[in-house]
Amino acid sequence: MKKKNRDDSGGLKTVIEPNGKNYQYWKDIWRYRGLALNLAKRDITVRYKQTVIGLGWSIISPVINMLIMTFIFGSVANLQSDGTAPYDVMVYAGIIPWTLFSKNLSLASTTFLSSAALMKKVYFPRIISPAGGSLAALIDSLISFGVLLLIILISHLTEGFTPSWRIVLVPLLFVFPILLGFFIGLFLSPLNIRFRDLNQAIPFFLQIGQYVTPVAYSFAVACAAVPEKFRFIYSLNPVAGAVNVVRWCIIPDNEFHWPSFISMLVFIVAFIPIGIKAFRKGERTFVDLV
Amino acid sequence: MEAVKTDDRPTILKVENVGKKYIIKNLKTLPADASGMQKLRYRLKKYEKKDFWALKDISFEIKKGERLAIVGRNGAGKSTMLKLISRITEPTEGRIEYYGRVAAMLEVGTGFNLELTGRENVYLNGAILGMTKEDIDARFDSIVDFSEIGEFIDTPVKRYSSGMLVRLAFAVASTMDPDILIVDEVLSVGDMKFREKCLRRMDEIAQSGKTIICVSHVMTIVRGLCNRAIVLDKGKMIYNGEVEHAIKLYNGINEAARITSRDLDDLPRPKFLNEKMRMLHVDVLDNKTCIYNWNEPIRFRVRAEAKTDAEDVSVRAVFRCDNGTPAAVAFLPLHADFKAGDVKEIEVSVDRHNLAPGDYKVALDLTQDNPYDIYNNVDSVSPEAFFITVRNIGAEEHAVEDNSARLWLSSWGHSRIMDVTGKVVE
Repeated sequence: MKKKNRDDSGGLKTVIEPNGKNYQYWKDIWRYRGLALNLAKRDITVRYKQTVIGLGWSIISPVINMLIMTFIFGSVANLQSDGTAPYDVMVYAGIIPWTLFSKNLSLASTTFLSSAALMKKVYFPRIISPAGGSLAALIDSLISFGVLLLIILISHLTEGFTPSWRIVLVPLLFVFPILLGFFIGLFLSPLNIRFRDLNQAIPFFLQIGQYVTPVAYSFAVACAAVPEKFRFIYSLNPVAGAVNVVRWCIIPDNEFHWPSFISMLVFIVAFIPIGIKAFRKGERTFVDLV
Repeated sequence: MEAVKTDDRPTILKVENVGKKYIIKNLKTLPADASGMQKLRYRLKKYEKKDFWALKDISFEIKKGERLAIVGRNGAGKSTMLKLISRITEPTEGRIEYYGRVAAMLEVGTGFNLELTGRENVYLNGAILGMTKEDIDARFDSIVDFSEIGEFIDTPVKRYSSGMLVRLAFAVASTMDPDILIVDEVLSVGDMKFREKCLRRMDEIAQSGKTIICVSHVMTIVRGLCNRAIVLDKGKMIYNGEVEHAIKLYNGINEAARITSRDLDDLPRPKFLNEKMRMLHVDVLDNKTCIYNWNEPIRFRVRAEAKTDAEDVSVRAVFRCDNGTPAAVAFLPLHADFKAGDVKEIEVSVDRHNLAPGDYKVALDLTQDNPYDIYNNVDSVSPEAFFITVRNIGAEEHAVEDNSARLWLSSWGHSRIMDVTGKVVE
């Protein structure tokens, strides 16, 4: 059955009925996978067109961010780093999953507005549009991961820090913040059609989230600061789970934190169906509403 | 309905009882003597919701290889119909079924990113239209070739002229190879030369046996491209069948009826005209509908009055297409002399064999020969005196002696040069 798309389409029957009954939705997504790739390529190329250092910007901005956080939290506030890791390594290891999460969430939640012009003219499975953005975000993160390796190498040479062997798993772990952000974003996307307030609110909450989540400081420090009775609730932050697991892979004496990890898995498993359902409801009607 | 012949081609698209409802908000009117309570309620709820059926009870079928035109005025529901078929929005009721892949030739430039180069845009746009990378790879050269972009293919398209952009977009769109192709008013693009090329490409696609659904307000395109038509009016389908009849219906909706008798005295005249003469009235003769089949000459009678003495007065008729392009001219090789105050009638008969099938506006001029300026207009009505439609019906019987008469591709232009001679040089 799995022939190349265009050849077998001659006999493929499509039925269009009210209420979005679509018997080949998932097949369509597979057929349009090339479009997701093209959209990702467009996002990345367009972003750095007519810039001098081009792709360098996707390195510079997280690095500067990391330097600021390291200075404020590590040097000024003099917070404890995570185990043997230098403060900058720990911060950078947190920035990567956090950025993946927040980018995925915001691009998935705004997809109906940002691609409205295209979606009102052409049919393609709508999920392809945020998927393309997500792919672009992933590529950025892989570049960031390269930078992280460089930072680790430098601290190995200067401070003698040796990462855990588990570091090889890190790129695989990116799947967690992506799924988490993407499907929560999909869940929010139809709301964004009717209530544009979300357009303003989401970046705002993401900014708060960045400080609630242990990005600029270690999870242990944060837990110590939270009152005893709220500590467990605090540790259920699913994004913290995504951040912790990346740090666990890099820092040798970091202890695996189960509650946040399991909470993250639960969130992901729950939001995949919820997100898809909400998104599909949105994609059926948004053309008439936007 | 001629289209209902026994046809053993398979049905490729079936539309059954399809309707599309939109909910529109109307501002309520508040009565002038409204009570306080009514005013408060009005404040809270200024709008009332109303159902609006953009399409209702639409059913039709398309056989494989048929080329269907959807004709209708603005707001008749044509674009909504295309949106439903191309799955951009879903019907409120009914069912649409089709086999294979549907793709639409888009409004030019949709999905183009100005920052990207021509090459990057070709791939992006191709992907948006549902082509795979291999598809585009295979067609890339012919796309560049057709668009005449040449060495600018690696320049960001924001530096393109609008014509270049349009050509590239059309080139990508026209290489699509779906099972059903949707064409929505995209053909009026670019300069004259490219427009011709587009029409020729569309003719090629049409002749290749592809199933096409086409929406256009330009009846010559509908004629050239399609072999069946449906007419929509206010969301309802009022006709499904032969193209010529559909166009007649559409024109009927457009102008209520063709005028066969018209006062010309009140019509505007061009400025700077030497008004020695005044055309008062025109009557179209022997034809109630202004639709001319093969072998029917276009005959009309002009009544004109002389303001001053005028000698050697003749009539010139200019035939213009829907869009105003002049297509042909006819000179009456006959002259009349007028004394001031004279009212005379001049009858003209024009052989229409040279004229392509289509709708024409006929503009009339009175001319006066003089030794210095042969084209001296003494009166002129603009933009037109009457409308006519030229058809090829009846041409089949003449096909033996004149084979080219049966078919007229839109890319062939509007008039035919007669009396062509030649010989084979061995």
